[in-house]
Amino acid sequence: MRTLLICCALAAAAASAQWLNYPTAGVPRTRDGKPNLSAPAPRTPDGKPDFSGTWGWEDNRPCPPDGCADQKIGQEFINIGWGLKDGLPYQPWAAELVKTRRADNSKDDPQTRCLPRGALRMHTDGLYKKIVQVPGLMAILSERNATYRQIFIDGRPLPADPNPSWNGYSSGRWEGDTLVVETVGFRDDTWLDAVGSPLTSAGKMTERFRRTTFGKLEIEITVDDPKAYTKAWTVKLNQPIVIDTELLDYICLENERDTKHLVGK
Amino acid sequence: MTAGLPALMIATVVAASAQWISYPTPGIPRTQDGKPNLSAPAPRTPDGRPDLSGLWKAPNGKYLANLAADLKADEVPFQPWAAMLYKQRQENLAKDRPTARCLPHGVPDQMAVSGYPFKIIQQPGLVIILYEEMTHFRQIFLDGRELAKDANPTWLGYSVGRWEGDILVADTTGFNDKSWLDDPGHPHTTALRVIERFRRKDFGHMEIQITIDDPEAYTKAWTVTESFNLLPDTEILENICENEKDVSHLVGK
Repeated sequence: MRTLLICCALAAAAASAQWLNYPTAGVPRTRDGKPNLSAPAPRTPDGKPDFSGTWGWEDNRPCPPDGCADQKIGQEFINIGWGLKDGLPYQPWAAELVKTRRADNSKDDPQTRCLPRGALRMHTDGLYKKIVQVPGLMAILSERNATYRQIFIDGRPLPADPNPSWNGYSSGRWEGDTLVVETVGFRDDTWLDAVGSPLTSAGKMTERFRRTTFGKLEIEITVDDPKAYTKAWTVKLNQPIVIDTELLDYICLENERDTKHLVGK
Repeated sequence: MTAGLPALMIATVVAASAQWISYPTPGIPRTQDGKPNLSAPAPRTPDGRPDLSGLWKAPNGKYLANLAADLKADEVPFQPWAAMLYKQRQENLAKDRPTARCLPHGVPDQMAVSGYPFKIIQQPGLVIILYEEMTHFRQIFLDGRELAKDANPTWLGYSVGRWEGDILVADTTGFNDKSWLDDPGHPHTTALRVIERFRRKDFGHMEIQITIDDPEAYTKAWTVTESFNLLPDTEILENICENEKDVSHLVGK
């Protein structure tokens, strides 16, 4: 799949430039000075779990027979529904669309033209994201295109008629130690993964964030989009903390040479 | 010099007409009639520092149109090659400006774009700036780290900050040489060091004194002071430079 090769080449470039090596403040350590990633999750002054930190993705994709790429990507990057027994419950048109997109080498994936991957793919991306949590707001910073997403936690309602956007409009609330974030206002041309699973403007995404230990972030994602799927579906991501480094700027449009080489049917 | 402006203005108009988010910003002091009291004192964080957090916007495009607007033309201390390049860019109607190709602004010109506000999020060890335009962000580390000695060259550089009384001093190096300091194209090199002194004068007003120190492009450092206004009760919108149709129409020498 051609898009994946492109993605991996870019990811590899970013990885080789991980030049920022500065100890992350506040990491719990064991007696021998090693990071204690199974220590309890930190909390903010108001007692809520603090999701702040740089997060990676689960290493759940076996290497191909000829060896691993420099930087591995997770299964969910390729197919967000890979772990579901029956796959994603596509509506017939959506199943047809995914078939066409796969046959077309996913060449029309917006990301191949350096457009955003959108809110969900920021979690499954093969590039780091950094969560910055302050009272009333959680910002998610992404290495890719040095972009960000905002999640309001100030009690505001979701807008009735949101401006369609790549990230949608997100409002979160606490249920105990879980941050429940609802997002609406997506564009109709959103891709959720590299095979092209669609999301439409009728879609609503609900994310349940839990930080179970210092080193582990769980994000349970439910997508309810009756236009594209016959029922709501839920996937769960398990993500590891990344310490002692920093995000790098990666601007996709800079020296973009892929588009004219993309081939499809 | 104005070739890119029509594109910029179209984008600005679109963003402005879509300012659909109208939600009262929490924590804003208000007068008796409920209006934001923008001359109230600047807020402070629990550790007693001024809190720069908020949505800010340049009052006009003066410093985007010319970062050296407050200097006389012959006062800009160009190195000879930089003066030539600046002249060339003007003669070329600034058509090679990176933003015309949806590439990022740099420091300091991104903040000078009055059509697009930016949001400061201040934490004890970190300041984040979320720019509305192109949905880019920038980090300023306040955790005591030093500037990287051999930073990876980037559009927005690598920034560390420290407090001098009530002023946040951000020191940035590690720039690539692709960004322009303003729309007409004051140039810089990878030797650029930008020192920004952020001062929140009261609740609704902030001043940033910006020093451009790039001995390869300028014979001495030069300084400008820009002012910014707080934007209450709204939000930044997602702005992606997409459906780009300008480049093929840009003309120059």
